[in-house]
Amino acid sequence: MHRCVVVLALFVLLAGARGFAQEASESELLFVRRVAPLLREKCSGCHGDGDTLEGNFDTRSLETILRGGDSEEAGVVPGKPDESPLLLAVLRTSDTWSAMPPKEAEKLNTEEPAWLKRWIETGAAWPATERIASIEEEYADKWSVEDGISVTTSGGLKPDWTNRKYEPDSLWAYQPLQPPAIPESEAKRNPIDLIIESRSPEGIEPAPRADRRTLIRRVTYDLTGLPPTPEDVEQFLADHRDDRLAFAELVDGLLESPHHGERMAQHWLDVVRYADSSGFANDFERGNAWRYRDYVVRAFNDDKPFDEFIREQIAGDEIRPDDPEGIIATGFLRMGPWELTGMEVAKVARQRFLDDVTNSVGETFLGHSLQCARCHDHKFDPVPTRDYYSIQSVFATTQLTERSAAFLAGENTSGFEERKYLELQRNRHSETLKELDEVLLENAQKWYAEQGKSPEAWNAELERIRKNNDGAIFNNVRQALRNAGQQEDEYPPKLVGFTPAEFGLERVSRKGLQRLDWEFDRYEPFALAVYNGRTPQVKNIASPTRIPADRMENGELEETCILAGGDPFSPTEPTPPNALSVLNDQLQAEFPTSVEGRRTALADWIANPKNPLTSRVIVNRIWQWHFGRAIAGNPNNFGSTGQRPTHPELLDWLAIQFLEDGWSIKSLHRHILNSDAYARSTTHPQADELAESDPAATAWLVFQPRRLSAEELRDSMLTASGELNRTVGGIPARPEINLEVALQPRMVMGTFAAAWTPNTSPSQRHRRSLYVLRLRGLVPPLLEVFNSPAPDFSCERRESSTVTPQVFAQFNGNNSHARALALANRLLSETNSDAEALTESYRLLYSRSPTREEAADILKFWKNLEASLPETLEPIESQPLEVVRTAVEENTGEHFSFTETLYSNRDFVPDLRPYQVNRHVRAFADICLVLFNSNEFVYVY
Amino acid sequence: MNRPVYSMPRRSFLYGLGTSLGSVALSTLLAEESGSNALAPRSGHFPAKAKHCIFLMMEGGPSHIDTFDPKPALEKLHLKEFVRNGEQKSAMESGKRYYVQSPFKFRKWGESGADMAENWEQLSQVADEMCFFRGCQVDSVNHPTAMYQMNCGNRFGGDPAIGAWVTYGLGSPNQDLPGFMVLPEISYPQGGAANWSNGYLPAFFQGTPLRPHGAPILDINPPSHVSQQEQRQSLDLLMQLNKRHVQQHPEHQELQARLASYELAFRMQTEVPEVLSIEGETAQTLDDYGIDQGPTDSFGRKCLLARKLVEKGVRFIQLYNGTWDSHDYIERAHGNLVRGVDRPIAALIKDLKQRSLLDETLIVWCGEFGRTPDNGVRNGTAYGRDHNPHAMTIWMAGGGCKAGHTIGATDETGMNAVENVRHVRDFHVTLLRLLGLDDNKLTFYHAGRFKQLSQFGGKVIDELIA
Repeated sequence: MHRCVVVLALFVLLAGARGFAQEASESELLFVRRVAPLLREKCSGCHGDGDTLEGNFDTRSLETILRGGDSEEAGVVPGKPDESPLLLAVLRTSDTWSAMPPKEAEKLNTEEPAWLKRWIETGAAWPATERIASIEEEYADKWSVEDGISVTTSGGLKPDWTNRKYEPDSLWAYQPLQPPAIPESEAKRNPIDLIIESRSPEGIEPAPRADRRTLIRRVTYDLTGLPPTPEDVEQFLADHRDDRLAFAELVDGLLESPHHGERMAQHWLDVVRYADSSGFANDFERGNAWRYRDYVVRAFNDDKPFDEFIREQIAGDEIRPDDPEGIIATGFLRMGPWELTGMEVAKVARQRFLDDVTNSVGETFLGHSLQCARCHDHKFDPVPTRDYYSIQSVFATTQLTERSAAFLAGENTSGFEERKYLELQRNRHSETLKELDEVLLENAQKWYAEQGKSPEAWNAELERIRKNNDGAIFNNVRQALRNAGQQEDEYPPKLVGFTPAEFGLERVSRKGLQRLDWEFDRYEPFALAVYNGRTPQVKNIASPTRIPADRMENGELEETCILAGGDPFSPTEPTPPNALSVLNDQLQAEFPTSVEGRRTALADWIANPKNPLTSRVIVNRIWQWHFGRAIAGNPNNFGSTGQRPTHPELLDWLAIQFLEDGWSIKSLHRHILNSDAYARSTTHPQADELAESDPAATAWLVFQPRRLSAEELRDSMLTASGELNRTVGGIPARPEINLEVALQPRMVMGTFAAAWTPNTSPSQRHRRSLYVLRLRGLVPPLLEVFNSPAPDFSCERRESSTVTPQVFAQFNGNNSHARALALANRLLSETNSDAEALTESYRLLYSRSPTREEAADILKFWKNLEASLPETLEPIESQPLEVVRTAVEENTGEHFSFTETLYSNRDFVPDLRPYQVNRHVRAFADICLVLFNSNEFVYVY
Repeated sequence: MNRPVYSMPRRSFLYGLGTSLGSVALSTLLAEESGSNALAPRSGHFPAKAKHCIFLMMEGGPSHIDTFDPKPALEKLHLKEFVRNGEQKSAMESGKRYYVQSPFKFRKWGESGADMAENWEQLSQVADEMCFFRGCQVDSVNHPTAMYQMNCGNRFGGDPAIGAWVTYGLGSPNQDLPGFMVLPEISYPQGGAANWSNGYLPAFFQGTPLRPHGAPILDINPPSHVSQQEQRQSLDLLMQLNKRHVQQHPEHQELQARLASYELAFRMQTEVPEVLSIEGETAQTLDDYGIDQGPTDSFGRKCLLARKLVEKGVRFIQLYNGTWDSHDYIERAHGNLVRGVDRPIAALIKDLKQRSLLDETLIVWCGEFGRTPDNGVRNGTAYGRDHNPHAMTIWMAGGGCKAGHTIGATDETGMNAVENVRHVRDFHVTLLRLLGLDDNKLTFYHAGRFKQLSQFGGKVIDELIA
């Protein structure tokens, strides 16, 4: 529709233009205005400007176009569009000429071929450069009205980009917030509802308010990720006050729950890609990442003003260097996967961090995936590559570290005694290395005998070194002989005479010690954080790092430059620190070029109330957290390729209100949750009409049901069974997971990661899912299968697919069976009859009692099932004490095995198991399992 | 009381415990918008040369110099110093370095005269079925990032794997099995399960690993104390509750799909174990694949299972082997590795051919990169090679590849590809083309951009196509 208007406007314009610019022909005008930009943007990348000239066809001049390429046919036949290969190729219907541009995603829109066609029809004029300039100048004002508007930025790599036009619509996110007009007569109503209703499809009323039982379940899950207790439900149903008043009070109560911050943190951590490990080759544990996770929980629970939340995450160490909280908060900058191995070029790895953090800040706070501007000016948005590197320049002095940060009073530092199991592992590895050292020393003697060489010098050094050393004697003796000037063939080679198993064990132990270093950091007052300074010269990071004493003297003081093609070895123009230039007319900021303070300046720029992106981006996310869909459909992408806001006035009203409320997230929740829109039923009386007039369900006239997230599902089962440990925060928890996964050997650089061993005590295992150890290389299957996102990329919105592995996990998996058994056992011991136990299970899982018919059916089922079950079961084992690992050994290509002792499993306290209860309980457990699998439990309405 | 050691697989099954392979029939259940079947077979953009792909991933980086790309020049350079310059040095390259000759002897095999080391005793017998490509280059020198690039096109992981793209484009002939199945080593490769991820594509296209230990598919069976009859009763109750619930929420369309997924899962548990069963294979077949014969048993089982999965109509099967990361003792390490895969792969090619399946099944063999002609200080005994993104050998068989040809070449030491030099994205585009797909049309809109396997678009390597 919109495009038709533009085309019509074009012809009107051309007809008019001829009158006053008699010297510019239609063909010339078309060329300057349409065809030249088209050739530049769509063709000359491969047919002119690139390193290679595809098909030897050059579209940069009429002469070369007329000459044609390999086909030796003219690309254009002036006056004859039907015979012009250039046109035939872009129309994509020719048998002779392959479709151009080759990528389907880049094909011309509907109007562009029409311009090309008309240009050829009118003679394919190609004016000289000066003439193009004068035509452009003469028509600039006229065309800008029709073609869109220019935007002032810091400037592209090419003037064509700098001067390009944008559809005004695509620039919505950069416009200052516009307060929508709310009629005074409506002052008593929630503006959210006024705005939504003003945009409703005609003739369709909003769905009625949902019943209270539905509402309390909806809002309790929404705000805490947990189900309401049966008592909460009873109380809310018994509240005789006005619906809205009672609901508002319920919301207030939930916002004060310590579990509210956990739920919000889950959303935030999806966006920032939280994980407890570094990913890639080593996937080293990030022992202190949990402190950032808990910082986020605290921030939401305390309703930390969002501008402060931004500042702390980007520059907490600069703003409050003596406050551990400020340091912990900068864990945000470390959330991307990152490592530096000896295999990699250090500068390339450093650049990976810089690119990651630049993009992450853009995506998280500004709704802009900045990486699109890394190699070239942004194809669609007014983000020049210069801006990308200006923002990157902010981080040029930011260095990665695990730095001191004293534990805070509010942090949960319990459970640290689990480190004793790591110490057992450490001792085991050290002992193995000692034993292997002895093997090497023996093999050395054999080597001398086989070689017919005298071991005299070796033995002398050996005796000397043995006195002073406890380990690595073999290597020390070799080193000593080398230092003494012996040639390499005069003393035994390293790892002499090892068997495949010994090669493997040596590596497993050596690397195992390295891996443990990272884990021991978990119990120490360090934070996954950053500092400012020069970039140190390191080749390999294999253990946690601390701030170097010479941070301002040693290493390179980076000067960020635009990198040609994003290549760190191709710097071009220097770019001092700055921010997105497209917003320069709305907010200016001074960026220091000193080592310190750059990030504070960027944080202040982002957290400036005048920044139209920041507040819009967060209110849009929060809307989505409540409704399942955002107002602007791509919360990480407010650029022209993201979905436009369905209700821009609503977005702006929320943003303005949010700023007026002092960036208070909890106030924002109240505005949204107390709207009628939030309280609507999921069922609409005119469902068919509504589906027709609002097929994408963006009118907010009916509430959308949703499936519980992976975490809610697990947490709800634990809540019902009474096993949930409600402690907030602390070191990561390790629940029991499928043994196949827990013991799955995982290749990490040069060795295997240790097995997943569950916490020994049930209460530590049964922490909320937010606290489950999140390794990039090993995701607990139950969470993964229900769409918990992988932390590689920022997740702006979770998928909620229905696939068969979910059935296997939920219906067959040990976790749901164990929870069902615990629930059944609990209810039968807490109630006086089967009927009562059944009623209680319904109240816990469905927030209602069973109907008489349901109860009768299930009690009968229970009786029958029970009779068919065996009276007793054989005891089953729980966790293994060791695991035999088999793998291909790198030095020999042969399989080798080793035994990993799972120390903590010696103290493992199992959950209740089926053989420990009678079949009456087991039959009820089967019923509880069915309820866990039922749609009424799994969906929230 | 406690189980002492994690249990080992039963040998009468090819793979896993064999209790049953619940094929994850993701199918019919829910293509989000249309309600149509996400895995329904559909035609590609071109007439396909191959219908299936068996991708043999030699994780760790096999040395082209010691397998399929002889470098006699190294004999003269042996133990002469190797100097690498340039800013792209990594810590791996510290210390003095020396050229190292290959410990393996080469010969020309078959009518085509293909170069292969002599220890490819069986594979060399089918040399004329193979098409060797020596021009491929990748961007990363680190295992996981190179693995991600070879498997998913993007070095940083998180993008859809080739198998996910292919099933997204073509669906899969068998609706009761996943279209993309993975047979990993006992230990997962570096980078883990992200190597067969669906990335941003819908979950239907995720690679389903068949675990060699324990349940081949997680939770395919209920806990051991739950009988099938007991489970059936529970399922009936569940259906009863869910049906009542659907009546109360007719507006909610996902409910039906979830209902169906339970019935399907239950059926799968009982229907598919024979895929994993070794029953029905002749003693000769088992012998051909080297099953129950020491070094070849593990990969032999994978190759035989791959054939069975092709017969069942699985679209894309990826087999892992390794690690081929032979920094030291390459003679022993590569010698053993070749011994482990030589016989099984040769058997797979012959078996497919004999069953007239080779023409429609593309076999790909590669690692994530090749290896260098040089080595660090290794005391004159422990010759090995380091990672090399600039040269490698990939070979293909069947599926419309140009059998009996060697395309591209590396320089005289094997350090760099110098002829028909192509970025791995071109190889990806070629692979898709053989399966009838156009990389430029096989796109998915995600995060503000149309994404594709090749990332930026690539060019078909015509020389590899028959």
